Amino acid sequence: MAACLQHTGYDQERLLHVSDKLPCRVFQAGTLLSLMGEPSQYSYPSIFLYGHRSTGKSHVVSTLLQELELPHATVSCVECVSAGLMFERVLLALFGPDTTSLLPRSPSLSDFVRIYRQQCPQSPANQTRFIVIEKAELLRDMDANLLPVLLRLQELIEDNVTVILLSEIVWDQFRPNTGCFEPLLLHFPDYSKGDLQQILSQDIHPSYSAELYSAFINILLGVFYSVCRDLRELRHLAALNFSKFCEPLKEGKVKESDTHKLWRNIEPHLKKAMQTVYLREVSSVQWEELQMEEKESGAMKGLSAHAHVELPYYSKFLLIAAYLASYNPARTDRRFFLKHHGKIRKTNFLKKHEKTSNHLLGPKPFPLDRLLAIFYSVVDSRVAPTASIFSQISSLVTLQLLTQLGHDDQLDAPKYKCAVALDFIRAISRTVNFDIVKYLYDFL
Amino acid sequence: MSTSSVSKGCFVFKPSAKKRKTCDVADYFSHSCDGSDNSRLRYKLCQDLWDAIKADTEKLQEELNRKILDGLLQFIRKCCSTFQHNADDWVSRMRASEIPTAALVLGVNVPDHDMTFQSLCELLQQSVTPHVAFLQAKECGALKNLMQRVLERLMGTAVSVDEEEDEAEQPGGTQPRQKGAHCTLATLCEWYECKTKKSNTPGKKRSSANEDEPQRPPIVIIFKDLEAFNPRVLQDFILICSRYVEQLPLMFVFGIATSPSTIQHVLPHSVSSLLCIELFQSLSCTLHLATVIDKLILTHHFPFKLNGKVLQVLVSIFLYHDFSVRNFIKGLKLALLEHFLSQPLSILCCGKKEMVGNATQLSHQGLESVRQLASFRRYVEQQKPQEQVDLLTNDEHMKETCKKLLKGLHKYHKNFYPILRCLHTLTNALPKYPLGKQIRELHIMCLEGNVWEKEEYQSAMQLLRMLAKEELVKALKHSEEILTPCKSKKMKDVLVQLQQLLDKFEHLDETKTETAANEDVITSPGKSIQKKTDLFQLQKTLLEMKETRRTKKMSQFEILRNEALEFMSGLVRSYLAPPETQPLYEVCYYSSSTVLRRHLNATPRTSIQTALSSPYHYLQNDKLLTEDGVSNAAPDICIVHKLHLECGRLINLYDWLEAYATVVSAAEGKDPDSEDYGKVDELKHARFIQAVSELEFLGFIKSTKQKTDHVARLTWGGC
Amino acid sequence: MSKRKADDSHMPIGESISQAQTLLRERLCHQRLPTRPEGVASQHKHLLELLKRTAVHGESNSVLIVGPRGSGKTMLLRCVLAELLTEADVQKTLLQVHLNGLLQTDDRIALKEITRQLSLENVVGDKVFGSFAENLAFLLEALKKGDRSSSRPVLFILDEFDLFAHHKNQTLLYNLLDVSQSAQTPVAVVGLTCRLDVLELLEKRVKSRFSHRQIHLLSSLTFSQYLQVVRAQLQLPDATFPDSKFCHDWNASVKALCEDKSVEEVLQRQFNSTKDFRSLHRLLMVSLCRVSASNPTIKPADLVDASRLFSADSKTNILHGLSILELCLIIAMKHLNDIYDREPFNLQMVYNEFKKFLQRKSHSMYNFDQPVVMKAFEHLQQLEVIRPVDVAATRAQREYQLVRLMLDHTQIMEALQKYPQCPTDIKQWADSAFA
Repeated sequence: MAACLQHTGYDQERLLHVSDKLPCRVFQAGTLLSLMGEPSQYSYPSIFLYGHRSTGKSHVVSTLLQELELPHATVSCVECVSAGLMFERVLLALFGPDTTSLLPRSPSLSDFVRIYRQQCPQSPANQTRFIVIEKAELLRDMDANLLPVLLRLQELIEDNVTVILLSEIVWDQFRPNTGCFEPLLLHFPDYSKGDLQQILSQDIHPSYSAELYSAFINILLGVFYSVCRDLRELRHLAALNFSKFCEPLKEGKVKESDTHKLWRNIEPHLKKAMQTVYLREVSSVQWEELQMEEKESGAMKGLSAHAHVELPYYSKFLLIAAYLASYNPARTDRRFFLKHHGKIRKTNFLKKHEKTSNHLLGPKPFPLDRLLAIFYSVVDSRVAPTASIFSQISSLVTLQLLTQLGHDDQLDAPKYKCAVALDFIRAISRTVNFDIVKYLYDFL
Repeated sequence: MSTSSVSKGCFVFKPSAKKRKTCDVADYFSHSCDGSDNSRLRYKLCQDLWDAIKADTEKLQEELNRKILDGLLQFIRKCCSTFQHNADDWVSRMRASEIPTAALVLGVNVPDHDMTFQSLCELLQQSVTPHVAFLQAKECGALKNLMQRVLERLMGTAVSVDEEEDEAEQPGGTQPRQKGAHCTLATLCEWYECKTKKSNTPGKKRSSANEDEPQRPPIVIIFKDLEAFNPRVLQDFILICSRYVEQLPLMFVFGIATSPSTIQHVLPHSVSSLLCIELFQSLSCTLHLATVIDKLILTHHFPFKLNGKVLQVLVSIFLYHDFSVRNFIKGLKLALLEHFLSQPLSILCCGKKEMVGNATQLSHQGLESVRQLASFRRYVEQQKPQEQVDLLTNDEHMKETCKKLLKGLHKYHKNFYPILRCLHTLTNALPKYPLGKQIRELHIMCLEGNVWEKEEYQSAMQLLRMLAKEELVKALKHSEEILTPCKSKKMKDVLVQLQQLLDKFEHLDETKTETAANEDVITSPGKSIQKKTDLFQLQKTLLEMKETRRTKKMSQFEILRNEALEFMSGLVRSYLAPPETQPLYEVCYYSSSTVLRRHLNATPRTSIQTALSSPYHYLQNDKLLTEDGVSNAAPDICIVHKLHLECGRLINLYDWLEAYATVVSAAEGKDPDSEDYGKVDELKHARFIQAVSELEFLGFIKSTKQKTDHVARLTWGGC
Repeated sequence: MSKRKADDSHMPIGESISQAQTLLRERLCHQRLPTRPEGVASQHKHLLELLKRTAVHGESNSVLIVGPRGSGKTMLLRCVLAELLTEADVQKTLLQVHLNGLLQTDDRIALKEITRQLSLENVVGDKVFGSFAENLAFLLEALKKGDRSSSRPVLFILDEFDLFAHHKNQTLLYNLLDVSQSAQTPVAVVGLTCRLDVLELLEKRVKSRFSHRQIHLLSSLTFSQYLQVVRAQLQLPDATFPDSKFCHDWNASVKALCEDKSVEEVLQRQFNSTKDFRSLHRLLMVSLCRVSASNPTIKPADLVDASRLFSADSKTNILHGLSILELCLIIAMKHLNDIYDREPFNLQMVYNEFKKFLQRKSHSMYNFDQPVVMKAFEHLQQLEVIRPVDVAATRAQREYQLVRLMLDHTQIMEALQKYPQCPTDIKQWADSAFA
């Protein structure tokens, strides 16, 4: 370890141990520790840690608190559907199970503070108590007073307590309009390339040498660092591609020392993986399968490759009609769908002033009647307006291929939007050999 | 049920179905059909037949799902094994923090999914883990409900959740709440812990299952319809779950209808990065249908048959509207019921032995109805005069002939399907598929008329005439395979002949070698064709062939080929005649496609229209019979509807009422010059209001903000 | 290892340092009361007078203490109370009720709290009251018929006073102020708020019952006084502190610190931006944390660093961690903002802009297909770097959801400068849309 924590308040051995557990985060941990001070000393009422996902926010905090055996409660706002749940968690962690029974159902902040105060003297506060709140950004959606109270909890409870908020979002987005007690901001910067190298190299494959693995990681970072710095994602990618990387070794073609060959072997695969970075399409197993079959068929395939959807014949046309309805201006329908539309010259019918195309602005809502009108004119045979036609529309909605706007009271005419992309609808209309581009206003 | 949308209307709510259940189906059966005695028997036959079909279909479904489900199970087993000896190998260590997830792509035929998931659940519970939670989107509106469902399904106990409810019943009451009643995963953890502990101790329930069962069985959560879930809820749930990966061996199964990429749409990367997704794709539902038809329709095991039109209806509903095999089978069931209900002679529609038995028990009346049958008439006319008399007078003789004919019908079926398959094997590879790609198309063709008279058949034959040798032989060999299992004598003969043909093809090679010299000149066009697949090109070469044929003598292969094809078409002519040609075919064939269509593919709008515009059509009351559809005596709603047709986009309620009152009093037969003619009294007013609100309920009009005393009309046109 | 030995040798210093830390931390974090509040002498006097009248002479009263956050309202009040309670009889009689608008979010809760703080639960028991007024009256009555005949003065302290104005038709405020008007039990209502317009929030009937006394805390500190405050905050008390030598050194170092040029300009900046004590405490706190056995005094550098820590723009920090792709998207958005002056835009447009850039660049390093870009976009949205225009339309296609960029030009540019190994072509692109 390069640096190492030290603080007069704590046992040096322990700190050493802790700093081993926090690679590349010793500095942040040090700052935090110095803010927390010695257990007996007062600490700042509220500290706000922010930084990107997987920059070790909660890891650092939890490791510190656990290793140094400080009294603390950790809650995640995702889990706390109600404030009451959060209170209960906190009390449970700080004062043991029997206290939670004191809480009334749907407790108010006042109840929480009251009970906390009651408990304090019984378990004397010779140490600072810590309340860690993860995903703090969700606090904003909860009770409006919750955040301000937590920020100045120390003052309200008159106990040596510190609230640590963790979030990916900057503090400016939190501040309520009447202002509040300002917490101490602490930024967790993202890992540098070196840090990533160091961290990723730690999970070594048992059957290969550490050098090899770190070499692999080095290659990986070389390709991906520019586009992806998320530690989690990188680890995922490493797990995906390592076996591929080792293939020539297994076959005994190349020896470990020959990094260049290995690189030339893996590089194309990484390039391919580039296309699906962040998508999390395939688990490692299937990835390998794909690599296999992709030997025969040139193209790289992920989940998105099977984008094709089988639909009943009329559903296809309904979807096409919906697409046309939501991407064509209503006034152009006559020209497209009337057999003998009188004298609508292409010139005067194309309006120049519409500068941005509808495919940039996205689909427009349309009423059911228009959808059906277009449907009947595009579908080749004549179709009876049977119940199943309408049920198909609603099932398209449940499949999220259409979206219904507003309340779904069928009595007053509902409006819909088409929720599929151009490529998708192209593929669909190809199967029923309907040339949709001829009917799209944007492509005239 | 709320009538909020129809505010002022007064409605009759039907009592729950309890009362109407009392009458037994069999009774209904007997009541419905015109006083024939054998209704019970028919009902029983119908039942048996249906049970047989049902059993078959279920077996079929199982087989079809097996492949994908096995893959899924294997995946789950693998994961839970990694849960067991926790993460000894590198890969699983790398993935320790991720929740294994199976993305199960089932296609858009949502109705069919239930069965699949049901069998999946059962399989899981008996082979992998007792802890399976099955979730549907409609019951998980909010995170709370989702949690509640999960816990309920897993722990099998009700858990109190809703803070709101608590507040509602007791605002801020300070009684302590009982522990563990919370709807959180923490609760689940505790439960799971003690559960596993218990299951480790000897002498617990499910002991038999537990021997092979792993110590920490995984918890599988199945999301039936991923698309319909509220993304927000799903994301939160997954986030929460990921915090408990260490304590709980969780697993997800996503049921996806459209395409796997929906996962990306529903879940942002921050969430999807917590999952380790594997993809499982089910086979397409058209294949599914093909197998179902193959097993249920194209077989002589079930005496009940559909004629071309009916089959057409069912298939087109499947292809055009819903890819749902389940609905297809439902349609089949309906047809079955209808047949046995409407056709008195359907007692004869059953297995050979019972059929003969039933035939002997035929009453005079029954025989009479047999004599009425068109096909039977045709049959009679072909007989000699003496025979005719006997048939029409002598019941005993009649019975005998009936048996004979019925047996004949059976044979017909026995031979029909093998030959059909053979023809299909020959023709399904042809360019442009003149006789259809799927066997069902060919089947329908054959049902509708003499297939050999259709020009599709002709063109198919022409194409066959220039089939390359190996293709032809392949097809013939395949049809040989088809024919071998057949037991009927005729088919055996056919098989023999076919084998002889094949032998000839075998020996052709030797003969060819000798006459190779002059062969290649002639067969060269034939050779060139082998590459050609385009129809037009083939026609062209066909003409060339004609000339060459005229000029040069045909090669041995060509002779043999023609021979084979002649043989084939001979078979077609003799065995693929449409059922209508068979006497007594009505007994087995259900033919009223319109009924079926009306039931399966209803047109509510049109029927409402007819009901309103010409009530006579449904009520059959002569008073309503007028030239312009709606008479004054018609029900209020009809009158109101008629009147509203004459209005514009907005309708003034008061004018409407006035008009209505006039019409009604005309119907009451008041004399036009009495002073209270067309006056609005409470009764009329009430009736009017009711009618109007019923119209609103039907969606013809709605109240509008633009003018307070007006309603907006939701339909166009008028008179 | 050597470090540890050093610790051992300096053990007494380490001891005294932790002593000092404890003392100062209590001062900075926990608002331990100073001997005298600075710069608010007049207000202090005024308030003391008022409360005395209630506590001693049994007059009812109501007053508002108004001042921006961190201007020492609470501190002032507590000082006054402390001083008030020095008198014995007051200590005996005076009852205090502390309410906080953040905690007592409605009148029901507030009333429960009042009952509890007056320790009357047992008296109230499970009586049912028709109205709030009755209930309150009963409470005060109950106080009166305690052991002594004369009723005891009650002091109601309403922190975050403005929040109480949001309660359902302001029943609590109405009744309290009403009582404070009528001559029955001596009641003093003290409200603390940071809203200058608080009176506008009150209903007519409530406002009319309020004696319009307001004490404004708009601190009129000069910079020199400010420096004094800073120094006073850091000083250790010579008398009480055990290790007198260390204490002396420390105070000397503090004095030196306050005279240091760099420190002075840091404080000047702080002073100009805001005078409130909280942010000052925050600043001092951070710099204090640096003090340890190895560096036993606060160095100017520490203070400067601390101030830099606060002045750092967090958004730029966040941008630093983004991937190139996300950065590209942001640049594209910036250009869109320039083109259609700050009109909202959707992903499609951004993607288009980005593609234009890629087409100009021949090499295809960054061209990802749409799903990947979508993910990047989502991430930005999650970080609230971009905000959807209407939150309601979340169900609609995300590609077409209209959003706004929450960054300004300078932030983006600064981030680009700081960005590790940022490709030059992207920098150029950021400078001009047609690079």
